[in-house]
Amino acid sequence: MKTAVRKQMTINPVVMDLLNNQIALEMEASASYLAMASWCDQRELLNSKEFFYKQAEEEREHAMKIFTFVNDNGGAALSPQIQNVNNDFESLRSIYEASLDQEINVTQSIFNIFKSARKEDDFVTEIFLQWFITEQAEEEDKFRSIIDIFDLMEGMPLKMIDERLPKE
Amino acid sequence: MNADVHVEKTIQLKEFTFCKYQLTTHTKVITLSFPQLLQLRKNVKELTRHHSLHQIIDADNFVLLFVADKQHLIYLDIPQLLFLNKEIESFFSSFKSVLI
Ligand SMILES: [Fe+2]
Ligand SMILES: [Fe+2]
Repeated sequence: MKTAVRKQMTINPVVMDLLNNQIALEMEASASYLAMASWCDQRELLNSKEFFYKQAEEEREHAMKIFTFVNDNGGAALSPQIQNVNNDFESLRSIYEASLDQEINVTQSIFNIFKSARKEDDFVTEIFLQWFITEQAEEEDKFRSIIDIFDLMEGMPLKMIDERLPKE
Repeated sequence: MNADVHVEKTIQLKEFTFCKYQLTTHTKVITLSFPQLLQLRKNVKELTRHHSLHQIIDADNFVLLFVADKQHLIYLDIPQLLFLNKEIESFFSSFKSVLI
């Protein structure tokens, strides 16, 4: 019995549960960015809308990366339920601030899984997660730089600020 | 007779062959593939969360659970449900990845 499950799965079951939570988190992030993209699209904020449409797709790719990883390693990936997507925003700046918060949450969650993988000697997942850790550091940095632009251009018309923002 | 002992006798999970598992309840013996075992683990885990247990107790005090891709329906009261959860967890807890 000791090795019964190990023969079927390369990853640790506890870690697998956390990876499934992470799939949900990435899909939630994707849904959230899609809502932000729509807000920007409706207001003709061209760079921002492109940026958020792209973010929505990227988050889905992250989810899929974990999804196939879980199944490829003998586990059971679960298609998550996405609830309570916020579609109401007060300003473009608040959207980027909310995005940074969201990214920080995702980073913390990845760290948690990484720790758990270490604790359980799940080296396969540990190595897999390294890409995500680098990615999250880049993502956080991207949003921080954008919020800096808002600070620098305070008082300027919204469309002018949008023109200075990255499309991806 | 102690309730735990009784439950222990009625539900059992065993490895049958390399990729087949056997769930024995008081009425039947069900063969499970590994994906079906993972599915059972997930469902039982959800049902034994604090919140779900309360809901079960407030309602009928038992659950009917589909197993093996809905080929079987099993009846579980709360002690049986908790026992099955433990049984499954012990099955998975002896997992030590790579170090075998
Ligand atoms: Fe992501
Ligand atoms: Fe992200």
